[in-house]
Amino acid sequence: MDKVLTDAGMKKSFGKALLYTLPMLLITFMFISGGRPDFSNPATSLAMMITFLLVNVLYFMMHYSGKTDQYRAILFIIFAISLSFTLISNMIATRNSMSFSQADILECKIPFCHLVIPMMILPAAFTQSIIFPGSIIGGFASIAPMIVLWLVATLVLGRGFCSWGCFYGGWDDGFSRVRKKRTITRINEIWKWMPFAVLILVSLTAALTLLPTYCSWICPFKAVTEFEKVTSVESAAKAGVFVSLFAGFVVVLPVMTRKRTQCSFLCPLGAVNTLSNKVTPFTVKIDKTACNECFKCVQACPLFAISRDNIRKGEVSVFCSKCGKCVDTCPNNAIHYGIKGVPAGTMKYFSRNLFLFVSFLFIAVFSAGSIINSLNSFLKLFF
Amino acid sequence: MKKVKIIAGVTWALAGMILIIILFPFLNSFSSSVAKLPFMKINANYSGGAAASEIIAEGCTIVVRKPVFDGLIGERKNGFVQVDWRGNVAEKMSDSIDYDLDGAPDFLVQVDRSSIKTLLVPLNPMVTDLKTSTQTSYGWAVRVGIKK
Repeated sequence: MDKVLTDAGMKKSFGKALLYTLPMLLITFMFISGGRPDFSNPATSLAMMITFLLVNVLYFMMHYSGKTDQYRAILFIIFAISLSFTLISNMIATRNSMSFSQADILECKIPFCHLVIPMMILPAAFTQSIIFPGSIIGGFASIAPMIVLWLVATLVLGRGFCSWGCFYGGWDDGFSRVRKKRTITRINEIWKWMPFAVLILVSLTAALTLLPTYCSWICPFKAVTEFEKVTSVESAAKAGVFVSLFAGFVVVLPVMTRKRTQCSFLCPLGAVNTLSNKVTPFTVKIDKTACNECFKCVQACPLFAISRDNIRKGEVSVFCSKCGKCVDTCPNNAIHYGIKGVPAGTMKYFSRNLFLFVSFLFIAVFSAGSIINSLNSFLKLFF
Repeated sequence: MKKVKIIAGVTWALAGMILIIILFPFLNSFSSSVAKLPFMKINANYSGGAAASEIIAEGCTIVVRKPVFDGLIGERKNGFVQVDWRGNVAEKMSDSIDYDLDGAPDFLVQVDRSSIKTLLVPLNPMVTDLKTSTQTSYGWAVRVGIKK
């Protein structure tokens, strides 16, 4: 019975789903090919075609099946893996190593990522400068484009950035899906406030030391991107922390809890994005008249964004990353994508279609470069 | 009031859609505008600071940067001065550096590139220690710790 009700929800006919996919086909074609497909390099052409087909098949399936999360997660996980591959291969191509050297720091050649942003704010306000050894504009992973991408995505998607834009989130999202049953079933929800403590800690320490302390000492994703060359006890300790936190928060805990524990308990940018949920136009709504309080969504939510209290109040909390897992899980279609100001239970189709178009377009275009690059490197082995 | 809220919400959502559509085609121009903001420059603790003086000798240019003491508010007691060797850098370098531009050398730095050994001889009590000595894409760079 549950299955029947869910499938009846947002599912569309083949033709209608294709019609909804058409704008995405056109826009992603323009972005991926640059409007002028070039078939001179077979490996690159094939990589572009596979990427183009992948994103559009996933988008089509979201409309056709009425499900969101599983198709989003496929692209999200592929994005995380391909981005790490791109970063590492770029490091190896330019430096023959996954680690960066003192010279790279001195020459401000360190790739910039969005996790640095919270630590930059106080120093930028006081010193009128950026405390990161990267390039402001131009070159690989420079600062200004990353700020623009994050700012616009966060303004429009709020914490949706954490499920539709962050190129690290796919790692713990992926590991949280490895097992079907949770080994750890009870986690005190107070821990979901932990990113705010981390945010305050790293913002203050970064301001006092003028060092991006989260990147220097905490970031688990250093283990799958780039880190300081181990030349001293300090750098060895840092590498140990990165690998341990990656193993703990990105691999082991997500597998045991089926939750995105790095995003839920550690990420300082996640805390900033949580606040931005207050201004974004998109949200997830709970239609109390349709809800039978089965609380399946509470179990399903990977970010502790829905509690029993939230359901009784009829709204998800600001921790929601709009991944769609609760929407797909709800047997009564009581949870749906919504627009602020629009009452729950109304304009369900319009809200979902608009949100999917906006969020999927962002991740499709943002991830395309990394996926093409990774596929290209793989395909070059055969061409 | 309910209708106004709906119209405002939907308008904001449509505006968000337009923002995302124009984001990628206009990313370069948006980024250039952001890069022009007054705080969009790399802190001197990372960039090494502006050049203070240049010495040109045998195809190699020695660039002595301005001392960096930058803190969050005001200046710190301890800082550093960066010296770059650019161009045709010799295997062994031995140069006296006057970072405070008072006409007297403040430290002597000797670099043996083949063995990657650097010797710092302080000639001024304000000079503390050798922070960094490394090969770079443009030649060689040294950071020397100094006090105020």
